[in-house]
Amino acid sequence: MSSPDLATERRPGPGLDLLGSELSVLFRRRRTWAMLAAVALIPILLAVAVRLTASELDPGEGPPFLDRVTQNGLFVSFTATVVAIPLFLPLTIGVVAGDTIAGEAGLGTLRYLLVSPAGRLRLLLVKYTGAAAFCLAATLTLVVVGAVIGALLFPVGPVTLLSGETIGVAESVLRSLLVAAYVTVSLLGLCAIGLFISTLTTVPVGAMAATVVVSVVSQILGALPQLEWLHPWLFTQHWLGFAGLLSQPADLSAFGSNALLQTGYIAVFFALAYSRFATKDVLS
Amino acid sequence: MSRKSLKWLPALAVPALVAVGIVAIPLSAGAAVDLPDKTAKEVLLLVSESTEDSFSGTVTKTAELGLPDIDAVAGMGQSMGGSESGLSVEESTELVSSALELLSGTHEANVYVSGDSNVRVEVKADLARRTAVSNGTDAWYYDSESNVATHVAIPADLKSSSPEKLDGHADEMLTPPELADRLLTELEPTTEITVGTDARVAGRTVYELILTPKVSGTLAESVAIAVDSETGLPLQVTVSASGQEEPAFQVGFSSIDLSDPAADLFAYTPGDGVTVEEMPFPSPPPAGEHTPPTEDANGPTTIGSGWETIVALPAASSPESFADNPMLDQLTTQVDGGRLLSTSLLNVFLTDDGRVFAGSVTVDRLQAAANAQ
Repeated sequence: MSSPDLATERRPGPGLDLLGSELSVLFRRRRTWAMLAAVALIPILLAVAVRLTASELDPGEGPPFLDRVTQNGLFVSFTATVVAIPLFLPLTIGVVAGDTIAGEAGLGTLRYLLVSPAGRLRLLLVKYTGAAAFCLAATLTLVVVGAVIGALLFPVGPVTLLSGETIGVAESVLRSLLVAAYVTVSLLGLCAIGLFISTLTTVPVGAMAATVVVSVVSQILGALPQLEWLHPWLFTQHWLGFAGLLSQPADLSAFGSNALLQTGYIAVFFALAYSRFATKDVLS
Repeated sequence: MSRKSLKWLPALAVPALVAVGIVAIPLSAGAAVDLPDKTAKEVLLLVSESTEDSFSGTVTKTAELGLPDIDAVAGMGQSMGGSESGLSVEESTELVSSALELLSGTHEANVYVSGDSNVRVEVKADLARRTAVSNGTDAWYYDSESNVATHVAIPADLKSSSPEKLDGHADEMLTPPELADRLLTELEPTTEITVGTDARVAGRTVYELILTPKVSGTLAESVAIAVDSETGLPLQVTVSASGQEEPAFQVGFSSIDLSDPAADLFAYTPGDGVTVEEMPFPSPPPAGEHTPPTEDANGPTTIGSGWETIVALPAASSPESFADNPMLDQLTTQVDGGRLLSTSLLNVFLTDDGRVFAGSVTVDRLQAAANAQ
């Protein structure tokens, strides 16, 4: 992807170079591919399990939308997304975001990165963009693999929305992509938290675990009715709130409030990460 | 300041900026509103003269009635055993808990209205929606969790003849000013009507009409109705309970758009795989039965009037299983002469001999009413 960019830019800044190499390192890593493959396994397992069981599910039984899968394979995407959001996606995001700075520090490559004139702010931006790109890749994998395996194993047709009305396959693809965009945006706040934690330590595993723990803790807090006053401020609050995208007419209000909340988290934790990283003595 | 400590500046400045934004943006939206002064009658006129009948928006309902948490109660009810009489415990538990669910907590719904007959309501829940559509000829109700669409065909003759048939006062068509006058005189003996401070609801400036009971000892402290200053649409209703700071019940628009919603929203076609259930149209009672229902022994009776009205149900009119329901046991407390279901707006007194007294008054008044009968 970087070659046309480089061709059009007369004098590519060091940031773009850095971003290109960061993305190619990230997506050439075996670990990244292993995680994407694991993400892809979720819809595949779901679809195969539903296909192999003879008994029909009652409406409302099992995870959301699971009872619709036999009627329309495109619902595999939605069920898989709902299943993966609470733990699996945060886990993979935690690994990528926690590794950003701490991983380089742990390998001893951080100081070489800082030798180039790129500067620490630019390095942070590039690292964050890389992690965000992984968020997009992971959710797209989930949705696209879900739709493909659903189409292979089940009939595909007009999708029944949450209002009971149907939309054509073309519009349902658009809705699926909207859901993928929603989930990606949902994870950007966690990404920023992971980036910040990653600047605190030189042990990547610690940063990864801490990021995942933060997401789990936030979800537990979100489940406690006693802490209702806190709920609107939790970055996990809107994670499963994409039902509006599947109603008729599409209701984008949740998308907007989610994006605003995540922007707040990104701003705060990116600033914290910058201050910490810019003042840090890089020894490794 | 050293270069290093300067670099800590973003870590302080950005969170501070975000915090300021969180505090300041709602404040600026609620900035003081000053509308031309109007009397209560003029505000009522504004409402009755309103011609705005097409809009869409999000309605939010919150209730702080002091009821126990529903999830806990519902879970408890489900673990209880069955029963032999008429309505099973599960059924009555479900009824009670769905009634309670609507009464407590916060709910949001998207509402689309166009003209007199086109309405679409979509009640939001986590990953589920309940949709109701009515377009004058067909009414649909769909629950995404059960995947069942209920269809009611509205008889064609209903719409044309209903105003005369259903409205007993059809011959005395009131003009809006007369209606406002009449409302005021009817409410006057029991209620004080004032115009509160101008405010903003759903981003629109509103007059606030406040109804306060003239009598003491009622649970309801006041009812405030927010009326859009331009269109006269009532945008919010707030019921306050005495001794409670948060409103006991509030329903109103959190956003509203006054343009005509798309017409295809009101044409409902259930998709394949949706179970469609037909329901007959509930037949309207024959004309002439609009005089107050004769007070037969099993019907509800009312005691008192206005804010202090108490509704009394004689014994044996409530399904027996309700009284035996273990969930009701959890919701009520033992008081002198029976059990009490107490909320911040309504007290329900279940006497030991099976009678029911309900009203927005204190317990001792309900007990006094029960003893007097």
